[in-house]
Amino acid sequence: MEEGRPIFQQVAELLENSILDGTLVEEGQVPSTNELAAFHRINPATAAKGVNQLVDDGTLYKKRGIGMFVSPGARAKLRSRRRDEFARQYVQPLLAEARKLGIDPAELKHMIDTWGEN
Amino acid sequence: MNRALTVARLQFVAWPSVVGWPWAILTLSFVINLAVYGAMDDTDLQPTTGGLLSIYVMMFVACLNSITQVFPFALGLGVSRRSFYLGNVLQFVAQAIGYAAVLYLLAVVEEATDGWGIRLRFFGLPFVWVENPLLRFLGYAIPFLLLGFLGIAIALVFKRWGVNGMLTLTTAALIGFGGLSVLATWQHWWPAIGRWFADQSGAALLVGWPALLTLPLAAVSYLVIRRATP
Amino acid sequence: MSPVATVTDLTKQYRGVTALDRVSFSLAENRIYGLLGRNGAGKTTLMQILTAQNFASSGEVTVFGQHPYENERVLSRICFIKESQTYPSNLAVRHVLRAARLVYPGWDEEFAQRLVDDFQLPPQRNVRKLSRGMLSSLGIIVGLASRAPLAFFDEPYLGLDAVARQIFYERLLADYTEHPRTIVLSTHLIDEVSDLIEHVLLIDQGRIVLDAEAEALRGQVVTVAGPVAAVDEFARTGAELHRVLLGGTARATVRGDFGAAEHNRARSLGLGLEPASLQELVVRLTTQPNGHAPAATTAGATSKEAAR
Repeated sequence: MEEGRPIFQQVAELLENSILDGTLVEEGQVPSTNELAAFHRINPATAAKGVNQLVDDGTLYKKRGIGMFVSPGARAKLRSRRRDEFARQYVQPLLAEARKLGIDPAELKHMIDTWGEN
Repeated sequence: MNRALTVARLQFVAWPSVVGWPWAILTLSFVINLAVYGAMDDTDLQPTTGGLLSIYVMMFVACLNSITQVFPFALGLGVSRRSFYLGNVLQFVAQAIGYAAVLYLLAVVEEATDGWGIRLRFFGLPFVWVENPLLRFLGYAIPFLLLGFLGIAIALVFKRWGVNGMLTLTTAALIGFGGLSVLATWQHWWPAIGRWFADQSGAALLVGWPALLTLPLAAVSYLVIRRATP
Repeated sequence: MSPVATVTDLTKQYRGVTALDRVSFSLAENRIYGLLGRNGAGKTTLMQILTAQNFASSGEVTVFGQHPYENERVLSRICFIKESQTYPSNLAVRHVLRAARLVYPGWDEEFAQRLVDDFQLPPQRNVRKLSRGMLSSLGIIVGLASRAPLAFFDEPYLGLDAVARQIFYERLLADYTEHPRTIVLSTHLIDEVSDLIEHVLLIDQGRIVLDAEAEALRGQVVTVAGPVAAVDEFARTGAELHRVLLGGTARATVRGDFGAAEHNRARSLGLGLEPASLQELVVRLTTQPNGHAPAATTAGATSKEAAR
C-alpha cells in the first residue's frame, strides 16, 4: 500500500475503481474483508473500515450471512462523483504547472489534442 | 498442581536422552569393572568400586541443567516459577525413586550371584551394610535427592546472582571448609571426627544426614527461584 | 471492552540505570500492536515485565485483569517469543513443539506442522545444530501455533531472509484473521510491518513517545522541500521534526493534520510535498543530533495522542 494516506481509504478507492471499470458488477459480490486483508497484506480491521465506508455511502450493501454486494446504480453515482473530483484533482494542478512553465491555455489545449490521438 | 504435572511431563519430552545417558554411563562403568576384575582372576579379593557414583553425578548435572536450560525455556512458555519448581522436583524425585528401585534390585542380583561370579561389589551400597530393606532403599534414593537439590541450588545462585554470585559462593565455601580443616588440624580434632564418622550407622550416613541437608536446600532453592529471572 | 493489559507508571531501574521511566499505556483486545524503538530503548524489558519474567521497580502492571507474577491463569494465556530464547540442549525441533503442545491450551498441532513445512524446519534436528534463522522460525512457529490470547514477538526474525519473513507476516495475518487475538510485534523492520499493525507504541530511552493508531499517523507526517522562507511558513502549520539545509533550499519533516487544503497550500508556496513513511516518523522522533529525545516536540506529541 501507498505511504501517506490511510490504508482504509486506499482499500475503498481500489474497490471503487473495480466498480468503475466493471470488474465488480452491480448486484455482484465483493471480496470479503478477510480476502481483501490477505490480498493486500493488511490488517483485517483496516480492510473492514474501507469496506464499511463504502457501505455507509451506499456504494455497497450487506446481505446478512452472505456478504457484501455492489448496490444498483453505484457505478453511475461513482462516475458522477469522480467527474466532479477530476477537475480539482487533475485539471487544477495541470493549469498551475502550465502557468509556471509559461504554457498558455491554447498551447495546452493543442498538447492535449496531440497526446489524445496516441 | 496440574501445571506442575505438565512441567514434569515437559522434562520427559526427550525421555530417551534424560533416562538413557545416566544408565548408559553406569552400564559402561559396570562393563569395564567386570572386564578388569574378571581379568585379574584373584578370588581372594572382594573389590568395591566407586562406579556407582557415576549415576549420582549424572543426577547432579541433570539438575544443574534443569535450572540453566529448562527453567528459561519453561518460563518462556508461560509457566510460573512455582509450577516449574514443583514440577521439576516432582520429575527428579520420580527419577530418584525409580533409579533407587532398579539399583536395589541389581544389588540383590549381585548378592545372589556372588558378585557376578567374580565377587565384584558394584551395585551394593558403598562403605556400609544396611539391613532394613526400607532404609536400604532410602540409602539409594536419598543421596539422589541431596545431589539433585545441591545442583538446583548451585545453578540458582548462578541464575540469580551470576558469575559474581558463583565466585562469592566458591570463596565462602573454600574459606569455610579450609578454615574448619585448619582449625581441626590445629586443635587435633581429626581423630575425634574420624571416630564420629565410624560411630555413625550406615543408615545415618546415607539416609539421615543427607535428608537433613536436603530439606534446607530445597526450602532455600524455592525462595531463590521465586525471584529469579530466566 | 476492557483492555487485555494495562501498564501504569511503570519504572524499571537496573543499578541506577533507568530502563523504563513511568511508562503508561494499555493494550486492547484482538489488535496487532507495533512496539517500536531503538536498541536499548526498553522494549524487551517492558515485555519481560508484562510476562512476569522480570520485576518492576515501581508502577502497576495488569494482564487479563490481574497481576501476572506467578499467576497461572494469566501466564497460560501469554506467549513471549524472544530473539534470545534458548532451548534445552537435548531437545530436537519436534521435542520443542511437543513441549509447547503440553503447555498451551489452545495449541493447534496441525497448524504447527504446516508451519514446520512452510519454514522447511527439520523436525529431527537438535536445537544446537539449528542455524540462527531456523531458531527464529522455531520461535515463530511456537508463537503462532500457541494461539495464546496475548502473544509477544520480540524481534523474532533474526537470521531470517526476506522470503521467510514474508511467510511469517502472511501466516500471522491469515491466522489472526481466523483467530483474532492480541499480538505485540517488537521490530526494527518498520516498513515491513507498517501495513500489518493497527496501533503504534514508540518507546525511546525508557519513555513512550508515541501511542497512536497507525492509520491516523498516515499522512500526518510530510516532507516538504523548497526555498527556506516557504518551508518556514509551511512548517508553522505543524510541528517540525527535522530539517536539512542546502544553500537557500531546505527540506523539513513536519508533523500535523494535513488535508487537501495544506497540500494545495504547499503547492502554491512552490514546495515539493511528499508523505513520510512510518519508519521515517519513528526515525525522526527517536534521533536528535545531540542524541537526546526532542523533549518539547515529543511531549507535545504525546499529550496530543493522549487526548485522542
